[in-house]
Amino acid sequence: MKRFLNNIILPVILGLASCSAPSDEVVVYTSVDQVFSEPVLKDFEKETGIRVRAVYDTEETKSTGVMNRLIAEKNNPQCDVFWSGDPVRNGVLLSKGITEPYQSKQTLLIPEHFREKDNHWIGFSARARVLIYNKNLIAADSLPQSIFDFTDPAYKGQFAIANPLFGTTTFHIAALFMKLGDEKAKQWMNNMKANDAVIAASNGDVKKRVMNGELAFGLTDTDDAFEAKKESDNVDYIFLDQQKSSIGTLIMPNAVSLIKNSRNAENGKQLIDYLLSRETEVKLAVSCAQMPLIKGTPVPENVPSLDKIKAMKIDYDKTSNKLEEIQPWLKQWAEK
Amino acid sequence: MPEITLEHIAHRYSSKQVLEGFTCSFGAGKTTCLLGPSGCGKTTVLRLIAGLEVPLKGSISIDDQIVSKNGKILVPPHQRKTGFIFQDLALWPHFTVFDQIAFGLREWKEKQVSEKVLGILELFGIKDQVKKYPHQLSGGQKQMVAIARSIVLQPEVLLMDEPLANIDVTLKATILRHLQSLREQYRFTMLYVTHDHREAMQTGDSISVMNAGKIEVSGTVQQMRESSNEFVKSFIHL
Amino acid sequence: MGRKIVRHIIRVVPSLLLFLLLGLPLIVLLLQWLGGAERSVLLSFMNRETLLLVGKSLLMACSAALLATFTGTVCAFILYKLRFAFTGIYKLALLLPLLISPYIFAVAWKDGFFWLFGNNAAIYSEVGVILIHTLVFFPLAMLIMGSALSRIDASYEEAGLMVIPFGKMLVKIVLPLIRPALTISFLLILIFSLSDFSVPAFFGERTFTTEIFTQFSALYNFPLAIGQSVLLLFVCLLLMLAETRYLSDAPFFSVSVKGSGSKKYKMRNWQVFLHGLLWLLLILVLLMPVLMLVIQSLSGKALFFSEAWMLMRSAALQSVKLALWSTLLLTSVGLWMAYIKERLGNRLPNLLLLLTFIVPSTVLGIALIKYYNLPVVNFVYGTTAILLLAYLGKFGFIASRIIGNGIRQIPVSLEEAALVMGIPSWKIFVKINLPLLFPSLFAAFVLSFILSLGELGVTMLVYPPGTEQMPMKIFTISANAPQALTSSMTLISLAVTVFFIGVFFLCGKILFKKFRYA
Repeated sequence: MKRFLNNIILPVILGLASCSAPSDEVVVYTSVDQVFSEPVLKDFEKETGIRVRAVYDTEETKSTGVMNRLIAEKNNPQCDVFWSGDPVRNGVLLSKGITEPYQSKQTLLIPEHFREKDNHWIGFSARARVLIYNKNLIAADSLPQSIFDFTDPAYKGQFAIANPLFGTTTFHIAALFMKLGDEKAKQWMNNMKANDAVIAASNGDVKKRVMNGELAFGLTDTDDAFEAKKESDNVDYIFLDQQKSSIGTLIMPNAVSLIKNSRNAENGKQLIDYLLSRETEVKLAVSCAQMPLIKGTPVPENVPSLDKIKAMKIDYDKTSNKLEEIQPWLKQWAEK
Repeated sequence: MPEITLEHIAHRYSSKQVLEGFTCSFGAGKTTCLLGPSGCGKTTVLRLIAGLEVPLKGSISIDDQIVSKNGKILVPPHQRKTGFIFQDLALWPHFTVFDQIAFGLREWKEKQVSEKVLGILELFGIKDQVKKYPHQLSGGQKQMVAIARSIVLQPEVLLMDEPLANIDVTLKATILRHLQSLREQYRFTMLYVTHDHREAMQTGDSISVMNAGKIEVSGTVQQMRESSNEFVKSFIHL
Repeated sequence: MGRKIVRHIIRVVPSLLLFLLLGLPLIVLLLQWLGGAERSVLLSFMNRETLLLVGKSLLMACSAALLATFTGTVCAFILYKLRFAFTGIYKLALLLPLLISPYIFAVAWKDGFFWLFGNNAAIYSEVGVILIHTLVFFPLAMLIMGSALSRIDASYEEAGLMVIPFGKMLVKIVLPLIRPALTISFLLILIFSLSDFSVPAFFGERTFTTEIFTQFSALYNFPLAIGQSVLLLFVCLLLMLAETRYLSDAPFFSVSVKGSGSKKYKMRNWQVFLHGLLWLLLILVLLMPVLMLVIQSLSGKALFFSEAWMLMRSAALQSVKLALWSTLLLTSVGLWMAYIKERLGNRLPNLLLLLTFIVPSTVLGIALIKYYNLPVVNFVYGTTAILLLAYLGKFGFIASRIIGNGIRQIPVSLEEAALVMGIPSWKIFVKINLPLLFPSLFAAFVLSFILSLGELGVTMLVYPPGTEQMPMKIFTISANAPQALTSSMTLISLAVTVFFIGVFFLCGKILFKKFRYA
């Protein structure tokens, strides 16, 4: 009995106790793909000695895990920092009163355009929407050059777009609604559907299907396209709407928020400053072709630079609001 | 050698009334056969005496000591000095013959246990089966083990619930003879439940015929043969 | 008297504990839902469209359950009732699909279709979902039906064969005897299929479960999502109640202690056909998905196995450790609950476990967060204890049922015989019940391990920050990693699971030898 006590019970109790004791740590929830986020967090751990306890989730699977957690934990937050792949989710948290403004010297380096006006979220390293295509199925010169070409009967049934209810696709569509106005945007969506657009489960699914040769091309994000190119020689990607008169392509920064009433707020702030540093932006540029937002950050050759892309001009906060507004319609559109 | 008395017993299983106002006593040091058709409540009577069931109403006494009364168990089963032989014999499938018998001798020293077990097995003529498991025994050997397992604890009352139901006639006679001699040697009161009137006639000093939760008639074997009770007639004189 | 108090404690304490730990969170969630939302939102899920969707989901789940039960019964009949070469190997091989998650099946089949036919549009449909569910869940049916078939006493069939021909005997005698098992198999698969999210989501099929998920994750509409879950729960409960006497007494996965007394038939002329049939199934449910995974692992630009192992190592270790703890917990709580149901007649804890078993994972997860995320109980919420609770809720019912059936097969007289002899209760339990229960405990142990190791739905919502679980890791890494890496990781996780099951079976074999009787 005594041995049982010593060997089993005591370690359990001690283990439990040690977990609840305050320690030098920071809890981060992230919907940025673990392959890319984990190394950055590990580096932070090494450099500061602050232990990072992370909960990972994926954008691809709708960030259900972390988002539902953050919302359900509102009254007793476990999380200090939320690092998202796009600002939309931070917008949702902001509207539910879960985030807290944070400003530091570091945040000021980020262009104002990529920050929430009260700094409830701050953007860094951005991705862009691109067209990924399979070289075996379509020639580069017959590719659509604009998102509006997707309604062209010549491409009927040959392309995919991820379910607009989830992930960056939602954001892309919301941005188009902002740009075009509801009437025109809905018309374009319906025409695209009439042109037999395949609705894939996620951006990753679009990438996979194009890579496998199931479809000629599709819309996805730069990091997916970048990975696809590493994995297969048959695929390449282009930016859409780059002509002088066109609307440009959507740029989506990562976004980081401090959680309200968090336990390790100081450590959290330190992590945010770390994420907003030039070094992190370089790391993300190398690992997944994300484009740095801080002016003058060096990028590898194969990573596009923000200076060379025509970006769609939008207000991120207004787009977030727009998103919530059009979601019921998108749900209907996707399910029809 | 205790006498067993049941007074005004009422008992039911969920919704089915099994016994109602059941009163009966079984003579000290005698073998009484409880005879009756299936489902008449014979087994229940045995289980009540053993303390495996609690009577809803009425009292049960063994040797003038009240053991159960009105829904309460006053003396727990293991203090009643009863042995119970189940219809399915209830031999533990994972115990050897030796362990079956030794299991109850828990307050004994190891050496004594071994002597005692081997002694009783010798008496039952199954000493060479000592290391076998139940499934390796013949039907008759299993009966012997089950009986030996109870006898070894020297019960004052032996309750038997149709233990010989599936045994051929010759073997049955042998075992019954063996039981009689055991009873003379150990001097216990025996209550033997059966639905087979021939078995009852062979075994019992006296017979109680049960029907639908009641005792129809009690008496000696001879009295039974001469009984004018309609039910007894139809049940015995087939 | 002391015995009575102990009995009382054994009876009441676990019910209370289980209720406090698992039942109350669900009730609190329900009350918050009822109290928090406006009335219009509360009822907004009750509209024609939702009901149609429920109907469609039910229809799909029913089809899958029917097909899976049918396939499983045919397999069970071949493997358990026919004299046949290699039945042992077939049995084991056909059970392996249970280790592969439905999602991986879906991916493998999609790619397989494309690989074979150059087109996989057909699989993105209701038919695709039904197909995958049938393939994933039929081993469960095989297990249930196999145990039912092998428990039919040979004499029933032989008595029948004296008066009617073989075919008629099957219909008139065997079929009615296995009807309860058929019902249970059907219902369990129906529930599994109804509550699976991954496959319909992957194939872009809208079902009630994906709808709930969408409400939760795209629209963050908690009240509506919970309302719809309640509806789903209600549907499940109705189905259950319809057959409650079978399900609560479910004989599924009961391990036959006695040597098979069932009749086996010779089928000399059909051997080739039957082997062909089983091989076809093996190809469909095992070889094809595993082959796809292997092909994908090898067809990357580089070999990823070492990288995959580096990524998986710590997660695998943590997962196995957690699964072992969870398995211990599940087996002991299962034993406890089964005992108080079968021997002390208290059904409540089992009903509670049944309830948490059929609640959608997301709802269970949210309920646990809302209930346990308090500073006072952070030692539960912030540690893997919360995962243990979640697994108990998800799989306690199954463990308890397996063990319950084991208990039921032990004649009460074996305990009573010892009781009359004056053996103390604890000794009766330890010396008589436990050894006789060993096969059932072992089955519960292995199944709990498999299930705990593969759980994703609730794990995703409640796993403590900074820990890693194997399925979670594959899931998050797969988001943007090369296919070859993901497939390699899946193969590794499969290998880890198979390895441990192998170890268990070896241990089991040795232990079974020790407990060989019957």
